[in-house]
Amino acid sequence: MTTMQKPKILVVDDDPDLVRALRLRLRANNYEVTTATDGYTAVASAQKEHPALIILDLGLPVGDGFVVLDRLQNIDSLASVPVIVLSARDPQSNEQRALKAGAAAFFQKPADNDELMHAIQMNLSPGQPHTAHWPS
Amino acid sequence: MDDRTTQVLLIEDNPGDADLVRLRLLEGKSPVNVNCVHRLSEGLASLSSDTPTVVLLDLNLPDSHGAETFRRVRDHSPNVPIVVLSGLDDQVLAERAVHQGVQDYLVKGDISSKHLERAIRYAVERQALTLSLQIAQKQQLDFKNQFLDHVSHELRTPLTCIHQYVTLLLDGLAGPVSPDQTDHLRTILKSVNQLHAMLRDLLEATRAETGKMRIEPRCVSLNDLIHQTVAMMLPAADAKKIGLEIGVAVNLPLVHADPDRVLEVLINLVDNAIKFTPMNGAVMVQASVVEADMGTVYVSVADTGRGINPETKALIFERLYQDPDSVDNNRSGLGLGLFICREIVRLHGGRISVSSDPGQGSTFTFTLPAYSLPKLLAPVCAYEGRLRPNFILLRVELTPISSPPRGSWKDTAQQCLDVVRRCVYLDKDLVLPPMGNSGAGETFFIAAACDLEKSGIMATRIREQLERIPDLKAKCILTIVAAQVELPSNLASAPLEEQVQQLSEVFTGMIKASMERKQSATSQRLSNSNWAEPRPNRN
Repeated sequence: MTTMQKPKILVVDDDPDLVRALRLRLRANNYEVTTATDGYTAVASAQKEHPALIILDLGLPVGDGFVVLDRLQNIDSLASVPVIVLSARDPQSNEQRALKAGAAAFFQKPADNDELMHAIQMNLSPGQPHTAHWPS
Repeated sequence: MDDRTTQVLLIEDNPGDADLVRLRLLEGKSPVNVNCVHRLSEGLASLSSDTPTVVLLDLNLPDSHGAETFRRVRDHSPNVPIVVLSGLDDQVLAERAVHQGVQDYLVKGDISSKHLERAIRYAVERQALTLSLQIAQKQQLDFKNQFLDHVSHELRTPLTCIHQYVTLLLDGLAGPVSPDQTDHLRTILKSVNQLHAMLRDLLEATRAETGKMRIEPRCVSLNDLIHQTVAMMLPAADAKKIGLEIGVAVNLPLVHADPDRVLEVLINLVDNAIKFTPMNGAVMVQASVVEADMGTVYVSVADTGRGINPETKALIFERLYQDPDSVDNNRSGLGLGLFICREIVRLHGGRISVSSDPGQGSTFTFTLPAYSLPKLLAPVCAYEGRLRPNFILLRVELTPISSPPRGSWKDTAQQCLDVVRRCVYLDKDLVLPPMGNSGAGETFFIAAACDLEKSGIMATRIREQLERIPDLKAKCILTIVAAQVELPSNLASAPLEEQVQQLSEVFTGMIKASMERKQSATSQRLSNSNWAEPRPNRN
């Protein structure tokens, strides 16, 4: 990723009004945004657009968020794309499950904008995690 | 055998009384089968193999007396109706038994077959009614909780939308906003946040009611939590010119509690105190221990508000209770705050109460268990009444690579703790509760009964298991070090209790020194000769 190019974020949520608001906010934060409103389109769109990060709702038509997470994990070119789950569901019964399924973070709706933007930024910061020292 | 045959289990030790009751039963019109036993133990054994239609029970048996007798039968077979057979002299007891779940009682000298038949029939019917009532109640509760769960989830979706668009406008992302408009938007946002808090409370209360609320106790400083609370609540107090003060005893021990949950309780109590205290009043948060019981920490939040009347005091911790005299009625919330507080405190094994006189302010007090290393160590550090010979302290340190850490650090830390717990021997090693808040990194200490050489095997096992957690390598650096525990030479002659106490002190000293060293200079972590990276010696 070069500094000149805006990172592309795929926003997946079945509420088009929320998608529109998130798009506005993400664009204002200097991200390119692509969207999907169901599970099937989300995976297809991820394959076509190769986003740098995905914001994913859990309750989705045509394959819910967990199905999407599972599909993404099994596509080589997408397995390492960080996914931030943004869902209205109860974190107590969904957060661990989402993290185990490969999500990088879980936010319950309505999420604090600053925290969400910070999490996006952290998960986009290149290189860091993989160059780290791990004592053998 | 006919399905309509009434199966009677008669528990009666007096042969004369037993024969009389049997006779009366057989005289009746409907078919009956009587199984007569003379002792409670025989009765319970019979109940374990067969379920009779009804139990006829004498309260005074060779192996059980009085109220105890029916309690044991009821506890053993809660769904079987019981009719007590009482003598003339224990009618009061029989009446009390009826209040406590027995279906009926008959006075032995005064039993006709008609009487008996009717008593049995009604007892069976009443029992069936009670049972169906209980089932209906449970179904209703389940339904209500499912409904609340569903509603709070569904309400979040439009709430999220409102929240997003209001913040878009407020942040100027949809064009310039005038100061007046900003003010209005802030009012909307405040209401959105209130709704959000109510939804959270609703879900919490549902969890509490269904036993799904969880706590993760750690070894934490209550002093820090109180200061954190006061810092958060200061703006609200300042707005009403209320003095918000802290009084923490110097000798306050650490507590064994879930910091997030305790913070929730403190914020709730202080928020209430501020809400119900007039301008220029005072709110005081205190924490102390009493010498007689150093195992319990008392935390209190006192205000100079209008106080609580005695009738309200009894109800204040109940679900959905709302103060009818609230000055702030249109914004009083759902009345779940104190109920949630009580449940959180209860999960910690503590109590919460309020003392107040109208006009004199109120004081809410709750207790938390003090963190006691000897108490935790006692079951593992001794064997056959003697202290185990060798101890080591193992330190497992997780340092996140990115700051703040990638993903959900708290969950990662908890997952690691669970893994570490599975790597030790439960009967002789102790994974100490994590220290403080899991902020930048997490350190687990393990008090293990082995020598330094053997600790290598444990360290390798822990490392191997932790490295299996997906992505952990990408999230943090793992360091495992161990140190031998040097016990005072004269320790062996002391009583075991004192030995455990001293061992705890040595452990505490080592942990403190280790944490301080970590804070002062991370780079010197391994330079100290006491601490070494354990190497497995598999020869």
